[in-house]
Amino acid sequence: MGIVLKRIFKNYNGRAVLKNLNLEINKGEFHVLLGPSGSGKTTMLLVIAGLIRQDRGSVFIGSRNVSGLAPEKRRIGFVFQDYALFPHLNVFDNVAYGLRIKKVKESKISERVDYYLSKASIEKEKDKFPHHLSGGQKQRVALARALVIEPELLLMDEPMSSLDALTKETIRDELKSIQQEMGTTTVYVTHDQGEAVLLGDRVSVLNHGEIEQIESPDELFYHPKTEFVARFVGAKNILKVRVIEINKHEALAQVNNKGLGQPVKVRIKNYPIFKKGEEINLCIHPEKITLKRENEAPDANLNRIRGKIVNKTNNGNGLKATIDIGGMELHAAVPKNLFDYKIHEDIWVCFSPDALHPLCGKKCRSPGARKKCINGVIKTVDYQLC
Amino acid sequence: MKGFSFDLTISLIAGIFVCLITLPIFALFTATSFGELAVQFRSPLVLSAVVISLETSLIVVFLALCLGIPVAYLLAMKDFKGKEVLDTLVDLPISMPPLVAGLALLILLGGNSKFGNMLRSCGVDLIFSKKGIIIAQLFVSTPFLIKSARESFESINKNVINASLTLGASKFDTFKKVLLPLAKNGIYAGMVMTWARALGEFGATSMVAGCIPFKTETMTVAIYQNAMSGELTSSIAIALLLIVFSFTLLLIFKSRVKRERQLTV
Repeated sequence: MGIVLKRIFKNYNGRAVLKNLNLEINKGEFHVLLGPSGSGKTTMLLVIAGLIRQDRGSVFIGSRNVSGLAPEKRRIGFVFQDYALFPHLNVFDNVAYGLRIKKVKESKISERVDYYLSKASIEKEKDKFPHHLSGGQKQRVALARALVIEPELLLMDEPMSSLDALTKETIRDELKSIQQEMGTTTVYVTHDQGEAVLLGDRVSVLNHGEIEQIESPDELFYHPKTEFVARFVGAKNILKVRVIEINKHEALAQVNNKGLGQPVKVRIKNYPIFKKGEEINLCIHPEKITLKRENEAPDANLNRIRGKIVNKTNNGNGLKATIDIGGMELHAAVPKNLFDYKIHEDIWVCFSPDALHPLCGKKCRSPGARKKCINGVIKTVDYQLC
Repeated sequence: MKGFSFDLTISLIAGIFVCLITLPIFALFTATSFGELAVQFRSPLVLSAVVISLETSLIVVFLALCLGIPVAYLLAMKDFKGKEVLDTLVDLPISMPPLVAGLALLILLGGNSKFGNMLRSCGVDLIFSKKGIIIAQLFVSTPFLIKSARESFESINKNVINASLTLGASKFDTFKKVLLPLAKNGIYAGMVMTWARALGEFGATSMVAGCIPFKTETMTVAIYQNAMSGELTSSIAIALLLIVFSFTLLLIFKSRVKRERQLTV
């Protein structure tokens, strides 16, 4: 096991920042903590590092209970958001710092520092001081400095938040490959869902000091379990429905979102949690919506709702369209080459019954609980899976 | 035009300030001849006052470092009950008139107090001695070092300290290898101010150590004594030496800080 957090509580000035937080991270896993500002991600990282003490609960790194240990005894590497390089030391001495503290022989230090500097592709800058480095170079030095001590655990607190897009992409790829090569258990904090998808083996979504969901990136993005996670990962289309009919393979539901003028019915794959007459939230990812002109014949197997394009925004490779379906807005992500609609044009919003996914509302379980909602099915599972 | 008037006003005010500082110094330099000054510089009384002042003030700087750095660290890095009280105590000697400080020390260390008697019975006699000068100077000048070092400690990025801890360094290692090197300019500035304050100390020193020539007569005390007894040339000679010491030290300090800034920017 890499890390186990058990029932962690942390209050700041009477405000609960971490509330009964439980998490298990496997050895060698790249785990991403994703959440908005103030959700408790950094506090959680600082608790793992021992830089702040939890009010209650235990932290295990490997088999060691490190709950009461000082940070210097936890055998961790930490990459800070602002890199926190020592301004009075050059690149080589920054990276060598941890080894000198451990009183490693100078010949060994030189060998190891050179190795990690070259791994982080920063060996040419080893005589420079931090104020002569670019953001990307500082990032590489901070990474080399954290890795050179060969920590059991690498903690990274939004390390790429101040880098430009190109540098971010390069460093992200390198970081993933170094982590895979070294197999160091890594906990990475970010509020960027793109980073979470690209880097994480699993992602935990935090909201107000609680973990809402722990999942692989694909599962998280296409099968969010709560409204918060759905909105945070960009699946902004939340349909509040009442199940009105259940058949063998499909169910029929009436959309009851506030403001919706005309009643809209949608067909959805039958999930075992559905009960006739019950209200539930459904989520549909913008990418799973297709748009058709009024005169185009839609596929009979698809749900279709009449709507009007009210806005479109450029999103790099694609366009994000906002469609008014009569008092409620839906969002669609459409490739640029397929989008030739005008603002205020009437269109059909189409999506497959399989594209709708129920938000079962279940937050991540704490250790000891045995139930899990997988694709709308409540299953008994080993809690490590959750 | 308005901008020009503003600049002119600022320049005139700055000019008044420059006159305020330079005119009295210029007056000192022109008050006597170089020949008379040369005689005074060789006088045993003047030399003794210079030696006593330098000796005591340098010891004070060393002791202020030993006392002040831990207090500055405590105030900058830790939150604890009574922090505001400690902070106010640090400021107190700066706002307290030196004569009051001297009187308080005289009462504490004098023969009529239990503490003074206890010290005397242990063979430590602080009143009317060089040790008394050091205690008096330490009392009034240490806060300058504490305040300057504290500001420097506070300006250090907390994550740099955290980075050191996560790299396996103990708090002491972090203090020695990160905090002290990063706060050194503030500490040097504090040392310069402490030294200048100790060198120029008069009120508390004269209360605690008196004005015994060749024993407790510091430069400032000698200036006062000589001026009061009509030996103005002697006073001027010592005063000029004090100005030269202060000016030289400040110049060395400023050029050092400038050089370091050039190296790190």
